[in-house]
Amino acid sequence: MSKFGDIQIDPGIVKRAARGDAKAHEIIYRAFSAPVYSVCLRFTRIPAQAEDLLQDTFMEVIRSIGNFRGDAPLGFWIRQVAVSKALMFLRSAWHKRGQSLDDDWEESATGTGHGNPVQPEQAIDLDAALGALPPVSRAVVWLHDVEGFTHKEIAALLGKTESFSKSQLSRAYQRLRPLLDAEVTRAESATAMQGSSVLGSY
Amino acid sequence: MSDSGNKQDEMMNCGLSIQEHDVLQQRLRELEDTPPPRAVWQRIEEQARAEGLFAQRVPERTKWLAGAGLAAAVVLAVLNIPVTPLIDSGEQQFPTEPEYAATTANGEDMGDLNALMVQSQQIERNLRALPAQPSVMRAGTAATISELEDQVAAIDYLLTHPEFQLSAEQQEMYWRDRVRLMNSLLQLRAAQAQRVSF
Repeated sequence: MSKFGDIQIDPGIVKRAARGDAKAHEIIYRAFSAPVYSVCLRFTRIPAQAEDLLQDTFMEVIRSIGNFRGDAPLGFWIRQVAVSKALMFLRSAWHKRGQSLDDDWEESATGTGHGNPVQPEQAIDLDAALGALPPVSRAVVWLHDVEGFTHKEIAALLGKTESFSKSQLSRAYQRLRPLLDAEVTRAESATAMQGSSVLGSY
Repeated sequence: MSDSGNKQDEMMNCGLSIQEHDVLQQRLRELEDTPPPRAVWQRIEEQARAEGLFAQRVPERTKWLAGAGLAAAVVLAVLNIPVTPLIDSGEQQFPTEPEYAATTANGEDMGDLNALMVQSQQIERNLRALPAQPSVMRAGTAATISELEDQVAAIDYLLTHPEFQLSAEQQEMYWRDRVRLMNSLLQLRAAQAQRVSF
């Protein structure tokens, strides 16, 4: 479950925010700033950009909270705003550099030296392994596996096809697989040892 | 097809086993959030104020205390109820129960409305007897106090403006609500004062 859905805000606070109450907006900001900033930071990997995106996100929240109907939790609405802003940033960055999103993996493989699969010894740092993925691929993994977005939703956000989303995910998984294999092996060994010690106690 | 079947197909298409995918999801969700620098909210607040997105507010506490004080003074003058002076004993004992009686000093029955007014006045006295609010408090507590004060202010506005032409039943209902809200405020402020005193 996404962290955004776990944070509950009193409907009275949301109503006050819709009336332009600064204190109510600050309460909402304090509740959601860390998850929003974290998502932006994961997508961009640049703290200054993540700060700008955080500011853009909450300015949008302040401007538009009057349109929030309360059909879904407030956190999911804020998440949607943040994700849209962050993905727009990724897309615009690519446009500025005259590249399309499809070049993402080629650049990662050739330009940064991070094109090789993650090694098992990197297993302790999934954050670093994620950071080594191309930005769009990293965003797809996060949206799919943490925030629970479908490929259709991700494709719509990226302005791409579902196949593009699936392809990005698949390539990211291939990169992360050695790390996951090491984790699975470790977990299986721990379970086996636990089982034998339980048997031994009888 | 079942959910697990769908998931299995999807994972096979993406090159991960179910176990590997479960580990990945679990590890991703365990990653800690990063708090943003403190200055970001200041920038947002400045921008929002510059764009006129925040409402200008008269301090609600001042508004409702003034309105309530006036209403209570009128009631006390009409009923000729003696006002007990506040005595600061210096002890950390904070009144949270309204020490009211639904009778006058002469023991006459004042009726529900008058009783509510006196009760309301007593709670205000108890509130004033509490130490000043701490400058730093929990966001949730601050929000609740502010919300209660706003609601009391709204009721005071209705009760003190004759153009609303409230019936006796409506007045009683609003006074009853006022007492309930003031009681909640008193409980909250007393609990806050107790925390600060420790």
